[in-house]
Amino acid sequence: MDDKTKILEREQLDIEEPLRGADVELRLPMVTPREPFPIEPLTVDARQQTRAVGQRATRPDGRLHGLGQTKYIDDLKFPGMLYARIKRAGIASARIKRIDTSAAEAMPGVMAVLTGKEIPVNSFGPSFQDQPVLVDEQVFHAGDGVAAVAAVTEQIANEALDKIVVEYEPLPAVLDPVAAMREDSPKVHAPNSNIYATKVIRKGDVEKGFAESDHIFEGRFATQMIEHVSLEPHAAIADWDANGRLTIYATIGRITLARSDIARTLKMPMSRIRIVGTIVGGNFGGKNEITQEPALALLSKKTGRPVKGLFTRSEEFTSTTTRHPIIMDYKTGVSKSGRIIARQIRLVLDGGAYCSWSETTLGKACILSPGPYKIDNVLAEAFVVYTNKTMTGAMRGFGAPQVCFAYESQMDDIAKALKIDPLEIRLLNAFDEGSPSPTGQVLHSVVVKETLNKAADRFGWEPRS
Amino acid sequence: MTDVTVVVNGQLRGATVPPETTLLQLLREHFHLTGAKLGCDVGDCGACTVIVDGMAVNSCLMLAGQVDGRSVTTIEGLASREQLHPIQKAFEESGALQCGFCGPGAIMATKALLDENPEPAIKDIRDALSGSLCRCTGYTKMIEAVQEAARVLRSESPKQLTHAQP
Amino acid sequence: MKKRGRGIACMWYPIGFTVSANPSAATVKVNEDGTATVLTGTVETGQGSLTVLAQIAAEALGIATDDVHVVSADTDTTPMDTGAIASRTTYVTGNAIFLAAEAARNILFETAAPMLGVKVSQLEAKDRKIQVKNYPQRNVSIAEVAHRSQVVLGQPAIGSASWNPPTVAMDPETGQGKPFATYVYATQIAEVDVDDETGEVEILRIAAAHDCGTAINPMLVEGQVEGGISMGVGMALQEEMLFDAKGRHINPNLTNYIMPTSLDMPEITVDIVQGFDPTGPFGAKGVGEPTAVPTAAAILNAIHDAVGVRVHSLPATAEKVLAAIKVKRAAEQKQIPASAS
Repeated sequence: MDDKTKILEREQLDIEEPLRGADVELRLPMVTPREPFPIEPLTVDARQQTRAVGQRATRPDGRLHGLGQTKYIDDLKFPGMLYARIKRAGIASARIKRIDTSAAEAMPGVMAVLTGKEIPVNSFGPSFQDQPVLVDEQVFHAGDGVAAVAAVTEQIANEALDKIVVEYEPLPAVLDPVAAMREDSPKVHAPNSNIYATKVIRKGDVEKGFAESDHIFEGRFATQMIEHVSLEPHAAIADWDANGRLTIYATIGRITLARSDIARTLKMPMSRIRIVGTIVGGNFGGKNEITQEPALALLSKKTGRPVKGLFTRSEEFTSTTTRHPIIMDYKTGVSKSGRIIARQIRLVLDGGAYCSWSETTLGKACILSPGPYKIDNVLAEAFVVYTNKTMTGAMRGFGAPQVCFAYESQMDDIAKALKIDPLEIRLLNAFDEGSPSPTGQVLHSVVVKETLNKAADRFGWEPRS
Repeated sequence: MTDVTVVVNGQLRGATVPPETTLLQLLREHFHLTGAKLGCDVGDCGACTVIVDGMAVNSCLMLAGQVDGRSVTTIEGLASREQLHPIQKAFEESGALQCGFCGPGAIMATKALLDENPEPAIKDIRDALSGSLCRCTGYTKMIEAVQEAARVLRSESPKQLTHAQP
Repeated sequence: MKKRGRGIACMWYPIGFTVSANPSAATVKVNEDGTATVLTGTVETGQGSLTVLAQIAAEALGIATDDVHVVSADTDTTPMDTGAIASRTTYVTGNAIFLAAEAARNILFETAAPMLGVKVSQLEAKDRKIQVKNYPQRNVSIAEVAHRSQVVLGQPAIGSASWNPPTVAMDPETGQGKPFATYVYATQIAEVDVDDETGEVEILRIAAAHDCGTAINPMLVEGQVEGGISMGVGMALQEEMLFDAKGRHINPNLTNYIMPTSLDMPEITVDIVQGFDPTGPFGAKGVGEPTAVPTAAAILNAIHDAVGVRVHSLPATAEKVLAAIKVKRAAEQKQIPASAS
């Protein structure tokens, strides 16, 4: 009691007293300078119009991009943040006999190592949950993640990967989807058949249609495996708070789905998970599902620190989804005037090691495969097949670019054989307003012919005599 | 450890870094200039492009020690308190920036081009941008933006430009 | 020798998921000064969705794009969204935002109706005002109505809504059904030069005519077409992920995975064909993916026109084109009758 009174009696500091002039060099903390930029609202006229639809409005994010101020996930940094890397299998098909992480764990600077066994529910996927976060007993493709490390620098994390010893027992791998369809082929996800989904569209009677046709054309077309190559690699940062709430900053374009996948793989309620996206540096379908996020979350939990994972450009190719290669067989019956009477299609999609978005791709490819044409008799059968290659998933078009290549190539083959102008033959067959699609849907707002005529007009397409 | 003293965007800066540190890492992690991006780390994509002593370079291919005593310009050094650099303005208004990740690199490659060639033909522009990979825009609007920026820069006398870059 | 050729490809493409539910939810808040904030769970991935969604909200509320701020991409603060996938953002998320904006606008109408002495059904929102239909001079500013609504009457103008495209499941045996609510259509025509001695293909120009319903922002639609064409060029002529016999990647890098640079792009003209769709927000459909669909087909058809060879597998590298040209030449040589004796 007495001490407190004494404190109040003490002379208060004179806060007006100037800083002592004797200190010429004021020891101020280093404040990072900031490059100047104009603080002005977007003043482009198109953004000020109250009839907003139809305006060539510029983008607020475009302003930040031009200044280099946009913060992508890799631009974010948190105190105490660790860097994670994932060891990739490098072998297409194998049983894992043993994973020894002890040498990596012992390295100075390595704060935690994670293997598949530690993941509460080690499987995810938008339709089939056949993809492990980190493989545990078996490797399904060369880009599979076998173990993850979190270290104080990226360099140490990279070195730690080399110290993780994995013993593999190679298994036969199947790389060709047509071979994988055979009963005697090695099974990627034994004992299930490699054909993991099929789709059929049947309209009218193709055999009858072929019998009525004046000409039949057949062709096989094939497309390649393609990678999205977004300029921004996959990145994520995971962090926990003291209430057991997990926050993940990620380059994911579907945060609602991501949250539900994290809840499932980590066995957590959704109310304790927060997924934050910033601006994604390009998606095109490659950033529509989780990849490393559950592993980062568990590394963060183990270390008590935020953990950032950034894919290398090589991992973008080996360990993220790609576009389905498709082998397409087309048989088309036409009248001598060029009207398509019947079309039979068989699609074999290379489905990679995991399903990912293959079911959606299968469905779309099958539905779109007859082309935007009025055809009374259609039979389209599509199969997607596991192979021990990078998983194939969503990529701009979901199978449409592939089938378009097939049906439009054949259309020109037909046009040439029948000596009909390629524009004319398409106008003859294309959908009109109200035409039925191959699935029997009555189409509205149909403008195929308008686009044909407009493009031809702009191009200067003249029929050749 | 390597000592680096370098002029970045007109300001003298210093750092002491491990010798294997790249210029990109120096800029992003030590100077907190995150405009230059890590796209591939091996000089294939151009997202890390900055200007060193007037030349556009892939900063992931240069070591920090190599810019000791030199002058570096990054995307953050183009604008001033009063206005955007004409290249930034042209890119924004032409719609040449979509996801924006390749943007800083492409803009710096453009700056290096226009500093040397104020009236570039389309072929010169394509050549200058050929090291900047872009997956979003197809380059079409970028080329239009460069032409517009060149036009603006030619019509403005040096005194009118107040941006920080000397 | 360089041979010139031209090729057409047309296509159709659906908007949204195949049959399955893919809803989007949104909230629109009108601030007390008549500007607005939109909450959406979608993520901006570069295509400009946030700008387009702001334009849709602005149009519905009768204010300008610049008056609208869009907040996105946080599962804590923004409502669910199936995501930026399947070209669905303008159509599905756009519809959700349109409905949410209408709900917020209705609260403003309820406040404005007694101020103007009319019924709610007689009102419209235009030019930052709430005015009586056909009598625009009878108006009150949105700012005034928003302020009165929230601060005086205690009714903040907030609207929330969700939307899902109506579909009909496909029959498992025949596939008959209504898998998508709407489709878009497009044509691309390419002109190429093929060097018949090296097989190299140079794309000179592409004329693209794309339907996107109403073009909410034509500049962004053009950007999508040009970007999609660049992916189509890569698919047609350059890109391929290669595996060795053991299933290991051969070219997991950008040095050996060839993709288009600024040197590979042709001159592109874009024509937007507006196929108004009454089921979309202000008639809009979508455009993100369709732009990459017909390009490879058009280019391959142009190669066929130029040198008479049909390349059946992509990519149509110079080696493949040249090999096909040689096969054709050999076949033609065989058909030339031996010189007459």
